[in-house]
Amino acid sequence: MKLLGGYSPQLLFYILNDLMFKKLPNFAVTNQFGLFLLVILFVLFFSFFTDGFSSRFNLFALSRVVAIDIMIGLAMMVVILTGGLNLSLGALGVSAAMFGGWLMEVVGIPIIPAMLLTLAMGGFLGWINGYVTVKTGVHSFIVTLATMSIYFGMMTLFTEAEAFRKLPETFTDFGSLKLFNKYVSPLLLVSIFFVFLLFYLFKFTDLGRKLIAAGANPDAAELSGISVGQMFIYCHILSGLLAAVAALMLTSRIGAAIPSMAGNLGFDWLLPAFLAPVLGGTLLSGGKVTVFGTMLGAVLVTLITNGLYLIEVGEFWIRFFLGIILLLAVLLDKAREFFAQKSNVLS
Amino acid sequence: MKITISIITSIFLLFGHYVMAGSSSTKVALVPGGPHPYFAAWEQAGKDAVKDFGLGKADYKVPAEWDLSQQNELIESLVGKGYNAVLVFPGDAVGTNKILGELDDAGIPTAALAGCVEQPTKAKFCFGTDTGHSAYLGTKQLIKALNGKGKIAHFTGFLVDPNTTLRIKAVEKAVAESGGGVEIIQVIADIDAYEPADEKINAFMAAQGGEVDGIVTTAWVPAVVAAQALTNMGDKRIKMVGIDHDEVVLKAIKDGYVHGTMLQNPYGQGYIGSYVMDKVRGGCSFKANAPWKSTAQTNQFIDSGTVFVDINDVDTYVQAMRGISLEILETFESTYLNC
Repeated sequence: MKLLGGYSPQLLFYILNDLMFKKLPNFAVTNQFGLFLLVILFVLFFSFFTDGFSSRFNLFALSRVVAIDIMIGLAMMVVILTGGLNLSLGALGVSAAMFGGWLMEVVGIPIIPAMLLTLAMGGFLGWINGYVTVKTGVHSFIVTLATMSIYFGMMTLFTEAEAFRKLPETFTDFGSLKLFNKYVSPLLLVSIFFVFLLFYLFKFTDLGRKLIAAGANPDAAELSGISVGQMFIYCHILSGLLAAVAALMLTSRIGAAIPSMAGNLGFDWLLPAFLAPVLGGTLLSGGKVTVFGTMLGAVLVTLITNGLYLIEVGEFWIRFFLGIILLLAVLLDKAREFFAQKSNVLS
Repeated sequence: MKITISIITSIFLLFGHYVMAGSSSTKVALVPGGPHPYFAAWEQAGKDAVKDFGLGKADYKVPAEWDLSQQNELIESLVGKGYNAVLVFPGDAVGTNKILGELDDAGIPTAALAGCVEQPTKAKFCFGTDTGHSAYLGTKQLIKALNGKGKIAHFTGFLVDPNTTLRIKAVEKAVAESGGGVEIIQVIADIDAYEPADEKINAFMAAQGGEVDGIVTTAWVPAVVAAQALTNMGDKRIKMVGIDHDEVVLKAIKDGYVHGTMLQNPYGQGYIGSYVMDKVRGGCSFKANAPWKSTAQTNQFIDSGTVFVDINDVDTYVQAMRGISLEILETFESTYLNC
């Protein structure tokens, strides 16, 4: 007997059994599931206890902010995969965006080629980070701390801190577009597209598996023929590309390429950049990425920030709460690492 | 009895339109670009506007940092919460226009306060100090104190502040009119925060304090730090014209270390701005032939007033500024609005 595309009832039973009693409980104890529940809880909490959380205006604004925070989180996640950090993320993103603004406004290049060149600039700056980290053997924390100042300084020097404010309307209008009965920004769809793209990369491609293997155990990866240095450089290039995407999205949202768009030296991006992947379950020691977890982490952080604004706890307290959340996330990461090691020892 | 009724009726008729606390549905958010002492007066201005004009709310909400994105997020959350009029110090002269346009589309009137956005804009108007003019007048006062001769330094605010460029140009213009007698030897910008201001101004005083004859400051924090530096040095040779009304600056004027200061009117901006937002929400529109002033950024500018204060009138400056505010308020509707 053949049913449902050729599967026998017996086989279907095994598949369903596997899904219901093995995969589902597995998913239920994952970090992502916990995050998902927290997101739901906070949505319910803020919907009931704040004015205007579920208003169309607020949900649209929320979707626009979360879109950018997801991209920033992903850009950091791919470097954390190597066991490293990218402190230059904001400076790199702003430098790429200013380059894009210059291309569109001063050089007059059409939007699509200008955006592609902006991504190329992001990738190039990421490559510099990766190349210097791999060739010198210095931790990426130090390297990117230095390049953060270099990139931001160079950008300020070239632009004389002047913004590019006359960008093509098609480009800036994209950030104001409202979809799905004016509830959702298209920027969120762009971010979700990149989430699936990265998920595909890490889950289904040879390159993705090599990147994870290189991050998980560099020595073993090297012995099995993987060029670890090259993989690390790829991760930094990818980080630069994703940061450039985030910066382009932010430029489209605010309608101008502004040197201070990520704060001084790009510092304003660092907190969401760490929070999203660490909350999402990406190990700070490297070797494990959770793309959907990072997305949920970014959603949670943006949700809490928005909710705190609405509760009116005071704008200065928001930074305090985000710092506490980061600290808790790092402690969670340590606990996760401890239990992972314990489980390895036991098995 | 008749007299009492007459008095009560007269008071009601005279002030009735002011004493309607809570009767309007207008909820104004007063949002500065970031934390800064200049804007602190907006808080009381909002409270007084609620009391005097009967607004539903007029709250002062400060972004945690000087960052356009944070300011945008704060404004969006406030609108989500029900605020239906926004008075904003623009985080960026052009970048802020995007969110102002979105608010206008949502039927929420906005105005730029204390600093303007560049046109084209959906902001109803810009209400602030004519910063360029204030810097120009201050520099003129300094040149006069120097008898038209000497070397001066200019300390000013954030480069992202739309007013900074205007101030730099205005100081240059006043100096150019001195016929070569006065020369600018240094412009230090981006120091409207205590740490960089302290570091750079004190380094300048150490290196060129003997060479400079006059100082003009066109932002709050540099004025405070420079006044403090001159007081600490006990230097009355260097003439300084500051800005705003920080206690340190006012005391330095009284003690003779600072020649004078250019006062602005942040309270009047918040108070009158809230009143106008309520009028606009109530259906008033701006007259086509309103006597707008023009600046480099906009041609819909209203000057909230500026006045030079020196040792002779430092004790009575509050009355002077209050007088300017009342004058603007009394004539605002007839001058600018069709109601």
